[in-house]
Amino acid sequence: MVNYILRRLFLAVPVLLGASFLVFISIRFIPGDPAVAIAGELATPAYIAQVRQDMGLDEPLLVQYGLYLQRIVQGDWGQSVRNRIPVTELLAERLPRTLRLAFISLFLAALFGIPIGVISATKANSWIDTISMVFALLGVSMPIFWLGLMLMIFFSVQVTNWLGLSQPFLPPTGMGEGQPDAWKYMVMPTLALAANSMAIQARMTRATMLEVLRADYIRAARAKGVHEQVIIYKHALRNALVPIVTIIGLQFGTLLGGAVLTETVFAWPGIGRLLVDSITFRDYPVIQGAVLLVAAGFVLVNLLVDITYAYLNPRIRYD
Amino acid sequence: MKEKRFYVLLMLLLTLGFVLVACGGDTAPPAEEPAAPVEQPAQPPAEEPMDEPAEEPMDEPADDMADDKTLTIASGTDVENMNIHLVTSSPSYTVLEHIYETLFYMNIEGELEPLLAESMEANDDGNFVITLREGISFTDGTPFNADAVKANIDWVLDTDNAAPFRFLISRIAEVNVVDEYSVEIVLDGDFAPLPAHLSHGALAMVSPAALEQGADFLASNAIGTGPYMLQNWQRDNAVTLVRNPDYWGNHPAIGTVIFKVVQEDSARMIEVESGTADVAVRVPPAEADRLAANANVDIVNTPGLRTIYIFFNVTQEPFDDVRVRQAVNYAVDVQSIVDNLFDGAAIVSRSPFASPIFGYSEQAPYARDVQRARDLLEEAGVEEGTTVTLYHPTSRYIQDALVADAVRAQVSEIGLNVQLQTLEWTQYVPHVRRVEEENDIQFAMLGWGTPTMDADYALYALFHSSEVPPGFNGAFYRNDEVDRLLDGARTTTDLAMREQMYAEAIEIIWEDAPWLFLYSEVQITAVRSDVTGVLVHPNERLIVTGADK
Repeated sequence: MVNYILRRLFLAVPVLLGASFLVFISIRFIPGDPAVAIAGELATPAYIAQVRQDMGLDEPLLVQYGLYLQRIVQGDWGQSVRNRIPVTELLAERLPRTLRLAFISLFLAALFGIPIGVISATKANSWIDTISMVFALLGVSMPIFWLGLMLMIFFSVQVTNWLGLSQPFLPPTGMGEGQPDAWKYMVMPTLALAANSMAIQARMTRATMLEVLRADYIRAARAKGVHEQVIIYKHALRNALVPIVTIIGLQFGTLLGGAVLTETVFAWPGIGRLLVDSITFRDYPVIQGAVLLVAAGFVLVNLLVDITYAYLNPRIRYD
Repeated sequence: MKEKRFYVLLMLLLTLGFVLVACGGDTAPPAEEPAAPVEQPAQPPAEEPMDEPAEEPMDEPADDMADDKTLTIASGTDVENMNIHLVTSSPSYTVLEHIYETLFYMNIEGELEPLLAESMEANDDGNFVITLREGISFTDGTPFNADAVKANIDWVLDTDNAAPFRFLISRIAEVNVVDEYSVEIVLDGDFAPLPAHLSHGALAMVSPAALEQGADFLASNAIGTGPYMLQNWQRDNAVTLVRNPDYWGNHPAIGTVIFKVVQEDSARMIEVESGTADVAVRVPPAEADRLAANANVDIVNTPGLRTIYIFFNVTQEPFDDVRVRQAVNYAVDVQSIVDNLFDGAAIVSRSPFASPIFGYSEQAPYARDVQRARDLLEEAGVEEGTTVTLYHPTSRYIQDALVADAVRAQVSEIGLNVQLQTLEWTQYVPHVRRVEEENDIQFAMLGWGTPTMDADYALYALFHSSEVPPGFNGAFYRNDEVDRLLDGARTTTDLAMREQMYAEAIEIIWEDAPWLFLYSEVQITAVRSDVTGVLVHPNERLIVTGADK
């Protein structure tokens, strides 16, 4: 197992190299001259030329990439053009916020999504199943920014008015970092984010559970008179979990870089918003750094997912 | 065996979950936290550590909050960085101009007032001597004096620092310290708008001690002379300012001002509706009516300084003929564009620049008259169905692409076949500003803000023959009389004479129609009804120094 993990970590290097190269190349194909974007619309051609030179944008592409890699390895991820502080500092500030959001919402999603899926599967085509799946369908199809705004109007404006509070029941945006009531700021973003993941997990669990429950070994267990709860939670769910864990892993990876809408609506300055803002501003060093970080996160999560497989299903071996 | 492993995994997951939930609140202040836990195990007696932590958190907030009021502003964009010499956006200036002050201040009526300067006079050599207000210090204790002014102007002039607004004072050849409180500004040629240019936030006075620390320090620290000081900046989240206890002027009533970044328009409006923010900037026109209906929220409309226009390339057919340019002006009903695309939140242009700017004078707008436009085209010999290409940006100005499309539809009614072309913004500007030999633009949309609130900034760069591309006179408009008037108004310091010259220039430009004159923007701001004294400056700054609630 240790060998396997080491090998996987080693293999992550070319993956990250590939990711960094793709990002490096593709952002240079985005129409628009970064030097102009940085210098501003009022800049003189001389100033633009100077910016280009300062940023090394006048070097050949491969040379730029080589220099970039060299600096990355040395821990110098460059400086943000917009904020004029080191990229690593920006990322270190943003990552915990995004992780907080991602972990809690996935935790909530799994806490409710998987049991809902199990119940729907065991009581397939009952009214519980129908109601759960209608809600799951809603969760999958509701755009997150819309849900976010609806939550805000409900909890921050309506409920506050009903209760006649002087302060909003839940603060609409922001993080309240360092405040004692910081948890209040988490409620709506995590709910908005969890709704979608939960719905997907519930549907996925239901589908795989239905399949597993029809398998021969379940029938055999039932024939032997094993208690129904044991069959469902020990024999069936465990086997059904493999694809669900895969989905959760993917969801986590997506949340790392992709909670953009939630982060924007709730003014939650995490990695996703940093990435989008940097793209708009052509802040190359930050785009590269953030994508590299997200890619590394993806690799790590996938590794964890693969290791979890072995726990769930001992037949899966990594030699 | 298998069962065990499964439970181990479950336990692990649960623990991980709880740890993360627990970590949730702690992530923010990692810098301060480590100190306390280290101390506790080092102190053996159980009573003392119990008492101390209980007292400390009680005391501090009590001190801070003594009589203090906090004003929260939901703004759409964060400060770029804290270096006022380098930032370029109004949200940045809005925050930083509470910390930094300029020598002169352009008030809301567009009148110039002395601020850190006391007066300014021309001396015998034709240079300016500025007398400074005495007894002012930067918040780091550095005195504000002639050396500080010289240090700041020199910093901006130094091309190594690449200050984007260097061009505002590029006519300054030298700054000489005359005595502790007066500086001489030596100009390279006459330049009447200098005081107005010195009122631009980009030329505010930064502590010379801070300037010496270099650009990296200035990017995240702000040390000025203003009514507020920077307390804390969480990037893309919030900037917190606190009252400067040693401010030389009137002390503001609000002790703490928080500029909270809420990018999403609707979320920003909910902030002010729910009362978590006292002010929300950039209200979308479509939301203004709904917010106005809320008894707790007032809507403030302020004319802006940005004018949106479409320039004609007067060197290219068919717009080399003034009749064709006028015909297009007659073809477009700007009022209907303003009513339908902006819900009325824009002002139809009656001059090439917006009304709050010094030198503004009104002309009669080209009223929509399709028949007259058709007649003019016929006189000019333009055939029905002639194709012309209109360049326009997208998502740069409010509704820009929709406005271009409305123009296309209305101009096609007079028999011109308009094709629309768009480019990504950073490509767009260099493309429409190519030099004459390479330039095939027929007409193109742009916007121009005039932050100095002086007509020189608004007219010289856009209509003087010396400013044709790569300058901003994209129309290649060349008129000797206009040149003479703009040069004259730039070199005389007599305000009445300048006003007269600009009025004459505007009249000629209006008649020559090198532009399709469109509209100027209006800023809509939402303010909680219990808040007073919030000023929205035409130059897109929000000023809360006089606010109270």
